[in-house]
Amino acid sequence: MHNLTLLTFLPALGALIVALLPNRDERVLRGITLFITSVVAVLGVSLFCAFDGSQAALQFTQSVDWFTLGATSVHYEMGVDGISILLVTLTAILMPFVALSSLGHISERTREFLVWLLLMETGMLGVFASADLVLFYFFWEVSLVPLYFILGIWGGERRLYATVKFFLFTLAGSLLMLLAVIALIGQAAADGVLSTNIAGLTDWASTTPLEAQFWLFAGFAIAFAIKVPLFPFHTWLADAHTQAPTSGSVILAGVLLKMGTYGLLRFGIGMFPAAAINAAPLFMILGAFGIVYGALLAMAQTDMKRLIACSSVSHLGYVVLGMFALTHAGLRGSVLQMINHGLSTGLLFLLFGALYERRHSRAIDQYGGVAAVMPLFAFFWVFAVLSSVGLPGLNGFVGEWLILIGTFQTSPVLATFAVTGVIFGAVYLLSATRRLLFGEITHDETRSLKDLNIREVAIVAPLCALCLWIGIQPSVLIEKTSGSLDALVQRVEDTRQTMVVGDLVDPREEEGVR
Amino acid sequence: MNPDLIAQYFNAECAAALAPLVTLAGGLLLLIVAEWFEPMNRLRPLLFVGSILGAAWAEVALLNAPVAAVLGGTYSADKASALWGLVFLASTLIAWVHARSYYRKSRPFLGEHDMLLLTAPIGMMMMAGALDLTVFFIGLELLSIPLYCLASFRRDRSESVEAGLKYFVLGAFSVGLFLYGASLIYAATGTLSLTALTAAAATGFSPMAQVGMAFVLGSLLFKLSVWPFHLWVPDVYQGAPTPVTILMATGTKAAALAFTLRITGLLPESSAGLIALLAVLTMAAGNLGALVQSNLKRLLAYSGVAHAGTLLLLVAAQRASGELSYEATSAALFYMAAYVATAGGAFGLLAWLEADGEHFTQIESLKGLGRRRPAMAAAMTLFLLSLGGIPATGGFLAKWMVFSVTLDAHLTGYAIAGVLMSVIALAYYLRVIAAMYMEPASDQVAPPMAKRTDAMLATAFCAAAVLVMGVLPSVFLGLI
Repeated sequence: MHNLTLLTFLPALGALIVALLPNRDERVLRGITLFITSVVAVLGVSLFCAFDGSQAALQFTQSVDWFTLGATSVHYEMGVDGISILLVTLTAILMPFVALSSLGHISERTREFLVWLLLMETGMLGVFASADLVLFYFFWEVSLVPLYFILGIWGGERRLYATVKFFLFTLAGSLLMLLAVIALIGQAAADGVLSTNIAGLTDWASTTPLEAQFWLFAGFAIAFAIKVPLFPFHTWLADAHTQAPTSGSVILAGVLLKMGTYGLLRFGIGMFPAAAINAAPLFMILGAFGIVYGALLAMAQTDMKRLIACSSVSHLGYVVLGMFALTHAGLRGSVLQMINHGLSTGLLFLLFGALYERRHSRAIDQYGGVAAVMPLFAFFWVFAVLSSVGLPGLNGFVGEWLILIGTFQTSPVLATFAVTGVIFGAVYLLSATRRLLFGEITHDETRSLKDLNIREVAIVAPLCALCLWIGIQPSVLIEKTSGSLDALVQRVEDTRQTMVVGDLVDPREEEGVR
Repeated sequence: MNPDLIAQYFNAECAAALAPLVTLAGGLLLLIVAEWFEPMNRLRPLLFVGSILGAAWAEVALLNAPVAAVLGGTYSADKASALWGLVFLASTLIAWVHARSYYRKSRPFLGEHDMLLLTAPIGMMMMAGALDLTVFFIGLELLSIPLYCLASFRRDRSESVEAGLKYFVLGAFSVGLFLYGASLIYAATGTLSLTALTAAAATGFSPMAQVGMAFVLGSLLFKLSVWPFHLWVPDVYQGAPTPVTILMATGTKAAALAFTLRITGLLPESSAGLIALLAVLTMAAGNLGALVQSNLKRLLAYSGVAHAGTLLLLVAAQRASGELSYEATSAALFYMAAYVATAGGAFGLLAWLEADGEHFTQIESLKGLGRRRPAMAAAMTLFLLSLGGIPATGGFLAKWMVFSVTLDAHLTGYAIAGVLMSVIALAYYLRVIAAMYMEPASDQVAPPMAKRTDAMLATAFCAAAVLVMGVLPSVFLGLI
C-alpha cells in the first residue's frame, strides 16, 4: 500500500486510460478521473498516517538503477521526508476537488483537459517524492508542460501571453538550476560521490566550503525564487493566476508555488547551509518586503483573481521569511504555512470560481450584496478569508504565529515589519469581502444568482473542515515534520559553528561575529 | 604490384572496416542495374533498405571489434565512427521513407533519386572516419555532390532549383576554402595525415599551417551552419525538397561535427574561447532568426542553426579541456542521435503536410491541427519539446550532456549564455504548439490527408526513439 511509485504514476496511468478510452461520454471520463484522484488521495492520506515523524531519514524509499552518465549512476529513487510527506498529501488531497470543480467551468475538450490534469498530478507528486536529483529535475521541468496546456487552452482572454510568460520565466530559472545541478554532480563525482541520490549529494555538498557552495546555491535559489515567486520575480504570477481557469489557479496556488518553497528548503538550505546562512538576510528582507508589497498590491486590485494572486505573493513572503530565519519555530511555521496557503488560497480560488461561472466577471465592483442571494457562498467565503488572514482557531494563525516567533528570534526588526503585513492582509481581504458580499445589490444580474449547489458544497466543505482541523490540531502536522526539520536545524547550526571557528569564514564576517 | 604490399593494405581488418562502405556501394551498383533492367525496377525499395540494413549490420559488427586505422592509416573504423555511421544510416533511411510519400504525385526519376540518396551516407562515413585530409575531402564531395542534385530535384519549383544552386555555389566556395587550407598545411608541414599533423601540432604549427587550419575549420563551420556561415541555411532548407532537408539538417551536420571533433587537437589552445564565442553567437543568430519566422520549415531551419551552436560548444569544450576525451564525442553522438530522431521526425511531418500543398507549412495554417489531426499534432509537439530540451524527451538528456562537458571544461560563462538562449528557443517552439492547440482553427480547409503507412511508421519510430532516449536512455547510453 505504501508505495510512492504507485501513488505518483497512478494518475499518469489514469491519463493513459482517459486518453485512449473509446467511450466518448464525458461523464464516464470525469468519473474515471475523479475515481483515480480519489484513490490517490486515499493512498496519500494512508502514507501520511503511516509516516513516522520522529525520523529524519527518508521513508517509503524505492530505488532502481536508471542510467549512468560518465562514472555517475543515476537512480530512479523515491522517498519522502517530513517536509515532502506534507506536500505529497496536500497534492493528493487537493486534486479530487480540482477534478470535481472542473465540471463547472470546463465544457469543451474535456478529455484533453482531464489528461493534462492527471499528468499534472503525476508531475507534482514526482517533484515532492523523488529522492534522486536528476529525477527531481526531470519531474520539476516536465510538470511545466501540463500546466502550459491547461492555461493555454482553457484560460481567459489573454491566456497565450500569460502562459508563455509563465513558461519562460520558470524555464529561465530552471535552466540556471540545470547548470547548477550538472556542476554539482560533476564536482561530487570528482570528489568520489558517484551517485545522484539527494541524501548523498546533500551530505557531500553541505560540507564543502562556502566559495564552492555560493554559485551552486545561487543557481538553485534563482530557480526556486522565480517559482515561489519571491519579489522581484513575482510578475508572472498575477498574469498566470488571472488567466488560468479555476482548476489551473487552484493547482498553481495550491501546489505549484510550493515546489519553489520546498526546493528552497530542501536544496537551498539543506544542501548549501553555509551559503544559505550567508544569504539568509537577503532572503529574509525579500520575504518581508514581499509580504508588505504583495499586500499593498492586493489592496489596489479591482480584479478578484488578481487580488488573490497578490495575496499569494504576500503569504509566500511569510514562508520564505520563516524559512530563512533558520530557527526551529520559523522552519516549522514555514512548512505549516505552505500547507495552509495551499488550502486557504485554493479555497478562495474555488469559491470565486463558482461565482465566476455564474457571472463571468472578475471585477469586484461588478458584485456587491452577494450575501443576500447566496448565503451559503457567503458563509464559506468568509470562512476562507478568515483562514487566509490568520484568525486564531483556523489554520493560518498557527503558521503565521510560528513564523513571526521564529523571525523575532533572529531579527526583531524584520518580524515587526512583517507583522504589519498581517494587518494589511486583513485590510485588503476584508474590504474586498465587504465589496463582494455586503452592501446594496448594485447589479441586477446579482439578484438572480443561485447559491452553491451540492457539488460545490461538497468541494469546499471538506477543505474548510481541514482548515479548521489544522487550526485546532496543528501538532499532528508539526509532529510529522519535526524529525526532518530538527536534522536540518542541526545541520545549519553545525555549519554555523564551523563557519565561526573554522577557516571557512570570510575575515570580514569574523570581525562582525566578534 | 608487390603482393606483399597489397596484403599489407587489404587484409581482414581492412575488409571489416570498409564493409559498411562496400555494402552501400554494392547496393548502389545494384540500384543502377535495377534502373536499367526493367523487371528489377520493383526491387528498388528492397535494394535500398537492404543495403542500409546491411551497412548497419556491418557497423554493429564494428562496434564490437573496432579497427583503429586501415589503408595506411588514412581511415579509421573505431567505435565512434561506427556509431556515427549508424546515425548517418538512420538519417538516410528517415529521409528516404519520407521521400517516398513526398514524390508520390510527381514521381520524378525515383531511381536516380535513390541512387543519389544512397551515395550520401558513403560520403558521410568517409568524413567521420577520415584520418587524412584527402580522404575527408573525397567524403565531403561524395556527400555534397548528391546533395546539390537532390536539393534541386523538384525542377518544377523555382525555389528548389534556387536552393540547389545556392547550396552548390556556397558549397563549392567552402570546398575551395578547404582545399586552399589543406594545401597550405601541406606546404607548411609536408603531410596531410592527421596522425602526423597531430604530432607536428604538439611542437607548434608554423603561421602558414595555422592559416591553413583556419581555412579548413571555416569550411567545416560552413557545413555545420555556424555563424557567420549560416546564411544559406534558411533558404536552402526551405527551398529544397523536405526529405533532402532532413538529410542536410541531420546527417550532414553530424558528419561535419564528427570530423571537427577529430581535428580539435590541431587547433591552437587559445582558440577554445573563440570557438565558444562563435557557438554562442550561432545560438543567438539561430534563435533570434527563428523567433520572427512565419513558416515552420524556415523556423526549423533557424532552430537547426541554433542547435549547431550548441554542438559547437562541444568542440570548444573538447579544445579547452586539452586532452582528447571520449566525453565530448559521446555527448555529440547522443545529441546527434536524438537530433536525427527529433528533427527527422519534425521535418518528416512537414514533408507529409506539404504533400497537401506548399502553404501548409505556414504556422498560420497549423492552427487547429490539434483537433484536425490529433496524432500528428501530438507527434509534432513531442518533437518540438525535444528540440527545446524538455525532460522525458531525448533532447533533454542531450542538452544535459553537452552542458556537462562544457562545464567540465570551465566554459561556465558560455554555458550560462547557452542555456539562456534555449529559453528564447522555447518561445518559438511554444508559438507553434500554441497555434496547433490554443488558437481557433484556420479557415484554410485542408484536403483529406492521404494515408501513408510508411510515413506514419517513420514518424512513430522517431517519436518512440525520442521518448526512449528521454525516459530509458540507458538503451542508447549503453551503446556509447
